[in-house]
Amino acid sequence: MAFNLTRRKFLQTASLAAASVPLSKVVSASTGVTKTPLDAKGTFGDKTVVGGICEMCFWRCQLVGKVRDGRLMKLEGNPKSIDNGTAICARGNAGVKLLYDVDRLKYPMKNVGKRGAPKWKRISWKEALDECGSKLKSTVDKHGAQGICVFPHGASAKYPMHYFERTVGTHNVSEASFFQCRGIRDTAYVASIGKAPGEKIDMPNTKVLFFIGDHLGENVHVSHIKQYVQGLQNGAKLIVADPRFSASAAKADIWVQIKPGTDTAYMLAIMNYLVKNNKYDKAFVEDHTEGFEEFAAAISEWSLEKAAKECDIPAEQIKEVAEMLAANAPHVGVHPGRHVSWHGNDFQRQRALACLAGILGAYYVKGGWVPAKGPKVGGVSWAKEDHGHKYDLNYDHHEDEKVYPFNPPGTPTELIRDCAISGKPYPIKSCVVWGQNPMQTIPGQQKMKDLFNAMDFVMCVDVMPTDVTMWADILLPESSYLERFDYIKKGTQWDLSKEHQQYISARMPLVPAMFERKDQIYITNEIAKRMGHESKIPVKTIEEMVDKSLATANLSIEKLKAEDGIHIQPGKDPYGIPEDFTVMLFNEDIEDAGYPGAPTYKPVPDVPKGYARLLYGRAPVHTFNRSQNNVWLHNAMPDNPVWLNDEVAAKLGIIDGDTVGFVNSEGVESATTTTVKVTPGIRKDCVYMYHGYGSANPLMTIGVGAGVDDQALITKLAIDPETGCSGMRNNFVKLIKDGKVLEIQA
Amino acid sequence: MSLPDTSQDIAAVYRFLAQCMQYPDSDWMNEEFFDVLYNLLGTLGGIEEGVEIRKTINNAEDYIEDLQVEYTRLFINGVPHVVAPPYASVYMDKSLQGTFAGNTLAFYREKGFGLKEDADLPDHIIHELEFLSLLAEEKDLTGEEEFLTKLFRPWYQKFHTRVTEEAHHPYFRVVVMLIDFFTKEEDEDGFQPNEA
Repeated sequence: MAFNLTRRKFLQTASLAAASVPLSKVVSASTGVTKTPLDAKGTFGDKTVVGGICEMCFWRCQLVGKVRDGRLMKLEGNPKSIDNGTAICARGNAGVKLLYDVDRLKYPMKNVGKRGAPKWKRISWKEALDECGSKLKSTVDKHGAQGICVFPHGASAKYPMHYFERTVGTHNVSEASFFQCRGIRDTAYVASIGKAPGEKIDMPNTKVLFFIGDHLGENVHVSHIKQYVQGLQNGAKLIVADPRFSASAAKADIWVQIKPGTDTAYMLAIMNYLVKNNKYDKAFVEDHTEGFEEFAAAISEWSLEKAAKECDIPAEQIKEVAEMLAANAPHVGVHPGRHVSWHGNDFQRQRALACLAGILGAYYVKGGWVPAKGPKVGGVSWAKEDHGHKYDLNYDHHEDEKVYPFNPPGTPTELIRDCAISGKPYPIKSCVVWGQNPMQTIPGQQKMKDLFNAMDFVMCVDVMPTDVTMWADILLPESSYLERFDYIKKGTQWDLSKEHQQYISARMPLVPAMFERKDQIYITNEIAKRMGHESKIPVKTIEEMVDKSLATANLSIEKLKAEDGIHIQPGKDPYGIPEDFTVMLFNEDIEDAGYPGAPTYKPVPDVPKGYARLLYGRAPVHTFNRSQNNVWLHNAMPDNPVWLNDEVAAKLGIIDGDTVGFVNSEGVESATTTTVKVTPGIRKDCVYMYHGYGSANPLMTIGVGAGVDDQALITKLAIDPETGCSGMRNNFVKLIKDGKVLEIQA
Repeated sequence: MSLPDTSQDIAAVYRFLAQCMQYPDSDWMNEEFFDVLYNLLGTLGGIEEGVEIRKTINNAEDYIEDLQVEYTRLFINGVPHVVAPPYASVYMDKSLQGTFAGNTLAFYREKGFGLKEDADLPDHIIHELEFLSLLAEEKDLTGEEEFLTKLFRPWYQKFHTRVTEEAHHPYFRVVVMLIDFFTKEEDEDGFQPNEA
């Protein structure tokens, strides 16, 4: 196809004049390009914009942006920060590439194809919001507020989550950060010490660090890593229990190559040894614990030998660990971990960690668990309303008690999914997904698809076209953390032994939002107006929300800007135990609820013959699937090689670098392949890979099909009985090479 | 013989081409618009192309929605991937807002132009065509040629190829062909080099 004139000829003939006359009648009057005053070169110099708070992961380091003529050129740590300082990690640096990722969502879109196989059409915000508002309202009118389920994640999801929970009134909200990550830790510690523990170990000043599966160095949070490295530099001993020679195991004084799922048995034996040999902190136990006698009796069966057999480690090594802890108590850091939803016996393991620190007296002392005394800043959100228990899926109306009594905030994911798919005990017909990618964060992908297919309406809000967005009817583009106000970040200096200081900062945009991206306040409020809740809207804009929060600390956005983005004030000494602080070594409430009152070990399913247990963890340059499409991070770590024991590999005839796929014990095959990392640094009965690879969404042009999606292979769900959270490490795989399924001989 | 002053006509052509690249909407993409398009195609000897567009539109249940879906797939977010993001930097820097976008904005400024607050990125094809139109209005032929050579053609060729190969709807294939025609360099004899 070509025109039969040359351009020059055409421009020189009368044809052009004839053709051009009507052209101007059908063009819009205004243009995006316009006449402006002439500016001399050099007036558009680089600017340093303060107030950035990272969200490439959830540690949220403080940033400044180097901006040239409206373009963000580079991110750096805010020099005024007493948390991360000038340091940011690889992911933090690569935020620039998220901001300018061409695959990012730009405009509201409507799916005029099918869920799972979308055909997108750009629509106006008005049309998108009208559709969201009317569909959600229709669900509430027809089925009640409980007819909506919500899967939120991240700082921007808080406000909409509160809207749907508090104002609309649905209990059916499930955050992956709780039910598939750290919720068990928090509720187990609340049941043990009355508080969620965070990762508040005074690592720079500790004498011994005790890790169960923590792989700091691969799991990178900047100020946390600074604390860890400072502790090691100061001579702290490191004890790491991990089936794999992780980055932390590589630095350990004692590496306990434990059998997966048996960590509680290991800790019960340590505690029993300390009790039996009078090597526990008697004064602390006397003053600050409850239930010692029952606790001691309950764990008394756990001899070193019994645990050694169960955990597949030497008894002498358990003793060595116990002795090292006792010799350095109370200045030991028993790390509570972060992602802990592993085997479905996790609440008890987290209880064991809390109790171990308790009998060592390792609370509120140098090197122990020490919650820093940070500044107080109030929050602003939707007003709380009581919606009763009637439609709370986690409430057993016959027994008049909770189904999972120690659940994290929200409703356990499986209760929501089962209800949505079966329609029992009531219909759930609309789904709101906000910043979460349940296709890759929640095990059981088919179940997630079944849920979406059972809905009358699905809406997603995100910055990227993650896998779940393929299931949306309406897809809304959110401004990223570099383009909006929101999160208030506060805390203290990272090394608690140094001058006591507190800081307060608020996320501010480093550049304006591009295209038609909007923030969470705008989107939520507009939906709320359409659902009849306009009078309950707590703030009109995101700036107002931040300013109102800051006002509780006598600050404002303007004041923070004038202070280079971070307000610093004198702090308080965090050491010294509060009189009423108590460690519940034996918790009667737990026993009354029908579970063991003292930490108790529950065995997990063994590896079936021919299979290996699938373990997963974090990559140092990725944040799960959130960063898989980032081109810099992708180039740094393009796929997730599977760790395979060298002896097992030799028997299978596999060499380092071979390409393999997987099939799990339920017959589910991986859609993609990855390479093999042959190493003596992993037990024979396990394989390991980094989580967050192998996106199935072709819109993620960088991340699609790169590496293997471990979540797709996690189809057997273990539910932690006390919390209702997911256990994801009871899945077993075989390798597929050249189309042949290989039996693993451990 | 002096050549006729065609700058205002060329400006109108660039503006029309910019309009053609806007998101399809019944507000402007109406019968009158298509008549003007067919007329322009006819003047160029592209009657068949016009007929193909007309046929596709007439056979559609909702031709605007078809064009919107296709526009979204080609230029915004598409399955299996967005085919041809209409931003120069994507082709030259493999990113939005790369150096090329910065250079483009700098060129606008050198010529006394800038972007309105609600504008898209400076290297969006619509703004580049609008800019060319404004240069033509100002009879800045040198500036027009410099911009075409340094900042438009290098990426446009790649964009054009992608749209030509991947577009399902004839409208977009024809529009990028028109843009190609009006922005392509010719040799001294008036022949456009064959890129194929």
